[in-house]
Amino acid sequence: MKESKLSVKIDGKSYQVEPGLAILDACRNVGIDIPTLCYLKGLSKEAACSICLVEVTGAKALMRSCVTPINNGMEIYTNTERVRNARRINLELLLAGHPKECLSCDRSETCELRKIAFDMGIREVRFPKTSKTEFPIDKTSVSIIRDPNKCILCGRCVSVCSSIQSVQAIDFSGRGKASKVTTFFDQGLASSVCVNCGQCLLVCPTGALTEQNETEEVWKALFDPDKFVVVEVAPAVRAAIGEEFAMPAGSLVTAKLAQALRKLGFSKVFDTQFSADLTIMEEGYELISRIKNKGVLPMITSCSPGWIKFAEHFFPGILPHISTCKSPQQMFGAIAKTYYAKKYNIDPRKIIVVSIMPCTAKKFEAKRPEMKDAFKYWQKDLNLKKEDEFYDVDYVLTTREAARMIREAGINFSNLNGEDFDEPLGISTGAAVIFGATGGVMEAAIRTVHEVLTGKELEKLEFNALRGLDGIKVCEVDIQGLKLKVAVANGLSNARKLLKDVGDNKSPYAFIEIMTCPGGCLGGGGQPFSADGEAKPKRMETIYQEDRNKPLRKSHQNPAVNALYKEFLDKPLGEKSHHLLHTHYSRRQEPL
Amino acid sequence: MYEKTVLIKDTDLRREDKTRQAYTQFLDHLRQNDQHSRIQVVRVADVGLYDKGLVIKVLPDRITYANVQDRDLERIANSLCENKEAIKDLVYKPKVKQEKLALRNCGKIDPENINEYIACGGYLGLKRAIFELGAEKVIEEVKTGAIRGRGGAGYPTWLKWNFACKVSSEQKFVICNADEGDPGAYMDRSILEGDPHSVLEGLIVAAFAVGASRAYFYVRAEYPLAVERIEKAIKAAYDYGLLGKNILGSSFCLDAEIRLGAGAFVCGEETALISSIEGRRGTPHPRPPYPSIKGLWGKPTVINNVETLANIPQLISKGGKWFAQIGTETSKGTKVFAVTGKVKNSGLVEIAMGATLREIVVDLCGGTLSGGPIKAIQTGGPSGGVIPQELLDTPVDYENLQKLGSIMGSGGMIVMDEDDCMVDIPKFYLGFCVDESCGKCAPCRIGGFQMLNYLKKITEGRGELNDLIHLKRISYAMQKASLCGLGQTASNPVLSTLKYFENEYIEHIVNKRCPAGKCNHLITYKVIEDKCKRCGLCSTNCPVNAISGDKEKGYSIIQEKCIKCGRCFEVCKFKAIYKK
Amino acid sequence: MAKLTPDELEKISKSNHEKSSNWIKVGMSTCGIAAGAGEIFDFLLEEVKKRNLQIEVKKCGCQGNCYAEPLVEVSVEGLPAVTYGKVNKEVATKIIEKHVIAKMLVNDYIYDSLT
Repeated sequence: MKESKLSVKIDGKSYQVEPGLAILDACRNVGIDIPTLCYLKGLSKEAACSICLVEVTGAKALMRSCVTPINNGMEIYTNTERVRNARRINLELLLAGHPKECLSCDRSETCELRKIAFDMGIREVRFPKTSKTEFPIDKTSVSIIRDPNKCILCGRCVSVCSSIQSVQAIDFSGRGKASKVTTFFDQGLASSVCVNCGQCLLVCPTGALTEQNETEEVWKALFDPDKFVVVEVAPAVRAAIGEEFAMPAGSLVTAKLAQALRKLGFSKVFDTQFSADLTIMEEGYELISRIKNKGVLPMITSCSPGWIKFAEHFFPGILPHISTCKSPQQMFGAIAKTYYAKKYNIDPRKIIVVSIMPCTAKKFEAKRPEMKDAFKYWQKDLNLKKEDEFYDVDYVLTTREAARMIREAGINFSNLNGEDFDEPLGISTGAAVIFGATGGVMEAAIRTVHEVLTGKELEKLEFNALRGLDGIKVCEVDIQGLKLKVAVANGLSNARKLLKDVGDNKSPYAFIEIMTCPGGCLGGGGQPFSADGEAKPKRMETIYQEDRNKPLRKSHQNPAVNALYKEFLDKPLGEKSHHLLHTHYSRRQEPL
Repeated sequence: MYEKTVLIKDTDLRREDKTRQAYTQFLDHLRQNDQHSRIQVVRVADVGLYDKGLVIKVLPDRITYANVQDRDLERIANSLCENKEAIKDLVYKPKVKQEKLALRNCGKIDPENINEYIACGGYLGLKRAIFELGAEKVIEEVKTGAIRGRGGAGYPTWLKWNFACKVSSEQKFVICNADEGDPGAYMDRSILEGDPHSVLEGLIVAAFAVGASRAYFYVRAEYPLAVERIEKAIKAAYDYGLLGKNILGSSFCLDAEIRLGAGAFVCGEETALISSIEGRRGTPHPRPPYPSIKGLWGKPTVINNVETLANIPQLISKGGKWFAQIGTETSKGTKVFAVTGKVKNSGLVEIAMGATLREIVVDLCGGTLSGGPIKAIQTGGPSGGVIPQELLDTPVDYENLQKLGSIMGSGGMIVMDEDDCMVDIPKFYLGFCVDESCGKCAPCRIGGFQMLNYLKKITEGRGELNDLIHLKRISYAMQKASLCGLGQTASNPVLSTLKYFENEYIEHIVNKRCPAGKCNHLITYKVIEDKCKRCGLCSTNCPVNAISGDKEKGYSIIQEKCIKCGRCFEVCKFKAIYKK
Repeated sequence: MAKLTPDELEKISKSNHEKSSNWIKVGMSTCGIAAGAGEIFDFLLEEVKKRNLQIEVKKCGCQGNCYAEPLVEVSVEGLPAVTYGKVNKEVATKIIEKHVIAKMLVNDYIYDSLT
């Protein structure tokens, strides 16, 4: 039985609205916008900022529209003098306590506080500067910088970290003027259970949370005549970086990006999608091996570094379930500094690998101490000492940082004609593209595993059950009688739900894909800011369309990958693969 | 032994104390008539009357004579000796009397002995509620009694209970809010320490009326004695089957326990209190949903103040009609006030609503310490305002105080005299609110802090007239946009003092002068040359060496160095330091 | 203590909790204790024991005259019950010797706010 609509009056006009809504949603549904600051759809509503106030006839105080439910017969006024006055004074109070560094702030274009102050017409802050306490800036983390001085205590980051990611690395502490968002006992973020996913950064309205900046080092490398700088680009970046240049969400800008990177000065512009295909080879065979040899099942994917750190902190018992395959980013670095260096006669010590990722956790992944397998490979031949150590991947730039460099170089991105990636490490299939969306790795793996196991061509390549933004998606794949149950989770609180069964040995699945970020990599912490995440479905559509546009759609069909095996690796899970393309995990500090 | 006892006290402070003289005279007279072994005469310290001349009380008859002159002493003595009636033209009938409802047993019974409580009629209210009335009729009685929440909001208690009663839920809670946080208020503490069973009985009745199965006492950790006494009361109640399964043999079951606060004034606010019990950060949450519908752990929860609950047992056992006879039209019953500040007899006063401020502070508590005029009375703690002396004849009830720009609050009453500064007082309260603000919403967190800075500016002699406009602007934002009562009312002391004492603000700002002589920065200390005996005591005591001079030339204060601590003023034996 | 039935409750309520009319009540709430009522209570208890007096020393709550703490209410048969205020050891001794033993009220320390 459908509940009948409620009659309300908004700004003098009568409307029929759905019951069960808050005033804010009801108003927005009928096209009346109310300014908000701390509100974020889908997160817990704390109603802290006092900006979304409205006047309701009969109520003593102004009501917070984000949490006040609509009642039948309510008379709401969104724009009276009382309301505007209260909003302004509140904003002036917030601005009085905010550092005046807008001109040199990372978020100067995208800051929500700046925007709302501008929209509200605040031209004068009539209160003296409030900040009494100077909070120290936390730069300990490789991925994320916290500046509590710019924090307006909206609570979105705390909400995301606890309810969406179930990590709870940050929370409020202190009282009144000394309130702040911090880690347990104010330890640096690097000492906490933070998994570096950057979801907090994505929802932060100001510059209180930003990523560590590696653009300076990349510029230096690019202009160092001694270095051979190559770049790899993740799948999800090409469907989103256009937004940084005012192009509509979901614009596919692969060719423009390749050209822009070449203009920046990269010696070779390669594609992480190449190593994504490689990953599917290794991981597909690993799954088959575990199934055939009664290995540890379910197997869980390993390409999301936020998820890996999460497992190491919270679920160390299930580490044996995780695939030993490295992520495409890391596989690329190892291959670039071994196979590619050998093939094209380049001193591996001079190769600098830069990756462009939709992800902040990849900065952490690249600096994991064990990710120096190329160095180990060359150690004997080149007589390398400990002080000559180098990482497989040298620098990681987020989508936003890459866009910044392109802007800094004065490149008119949207007007570029476009160029291709370089070969051989720029060749990829459609299976690699869909890595950027949640469920993509699973689909790509099935496309290969199916054909390897049956020897027959798989006709149905698209698995709709695994697509979309739902938190958990499941599917049963029939591989000639072998019924493979698979599951996909995105967002760590959803991952937890699957992991509990894995830990209790009750999981019905053979293979599980876990992506740290809601939506998968396309919603990663390094992606362009998108209010309320509305860009995600568009990016997703673009990614799946690009898969359809590719002539080759299965990883094992990638000719460059096949050449790599023939010329260098020999076979999937072979000895060279073991050394260069596989890794291990270890238990980390228990969450307190 | 003695048939009668006569208490004598001279309450006129303007002249020399005549108590001894009157005592001797009276005793002589009795001796002359050989009645001194039948009638006892005692000099006392206090007779509960002030400024009523020589007062004589006769016990056990409870006759009070006031303004007794020398010649009347003989008349009174004679009437006693001859067993005559009271002398009508001398008898004094006080207009105002305390009426102890919530404090009925405090000071009378051993709070740790449940039998003494029962012997005074304890738990008969609960018995009537369960066996005679039933839940609905209990709420009816409370409605008839029209008792309003004594925690400060004055919300009709029956309404709160009714909302929770009507919601169907497999579990409901009742909570006693004993997080009394107003500075200077200790009514709840005294009730919990002096008569914890009265509150417990009230809580059990509330649980019965609402259908709750668990009751909590949320007590601030700074009240260890109250916590101890409640613990003992709960245990005794369990032992007697007044808590636990099948209370008094009925089908009603209730468990009770204590939860401690941890030093946060804001946790006295209902939603923050609930958060605290749930183990979360004690910050308020937007309402609706109201706790009566969705409170502790999402279940219907009724939260009542200690004093409200202490009144319930009598209201139920004697009936709502009886309760409604006391008080005014809109505010029934009594209120316990904690009268403190510059008052002679500070303490707790319980009186029917409708008594005037003057009756409470002057008639019952003796007026100012110094004997000088009252400047104002601050009511309602950090959420309240000041009532200037010209409005002291206002009858005290919820509505009247609100009309004057203050609130009843939990019952704190601070008496202020000429030495209290009307800019310093709101500065103190605002400082308290800034300290205690939870920090969640910007208007309170930042607005309060900004207002405090303005007040500091003004009291330090750096104020500008524009600051008053800013104070009013921020007050507006805080009142309209704060998430909870703390922020919404934090500006009341400022607005109230601006309303009645704007001239003091102007003095501070324009003339850089504090009329009360309180604001340190605006005080100047100077040596009065002709009074100065050149002893040098001031100089040796000055912590910053700001007094220079010697025995020959005399001493003077270097104003630029002076930190206005007032030490020299305190130590000078010759009153030769001038404080302006 | 066994669980009460309603009738048993009535019975206790009708009993006189003041078993005798000889008692000393000391105000032992925080206001009293802060003023020193704890020591006075112990002192009175000791004196009563020492001198073998038939009078019970009990504690009670705050009766409101906090400015006059420590408050001690004394009831001795044949005399009206009175409350002494600002009781120190000296006054307490007088209460024992003069009021309890000699059955004479002590001068200058009674606080009688009842009207």
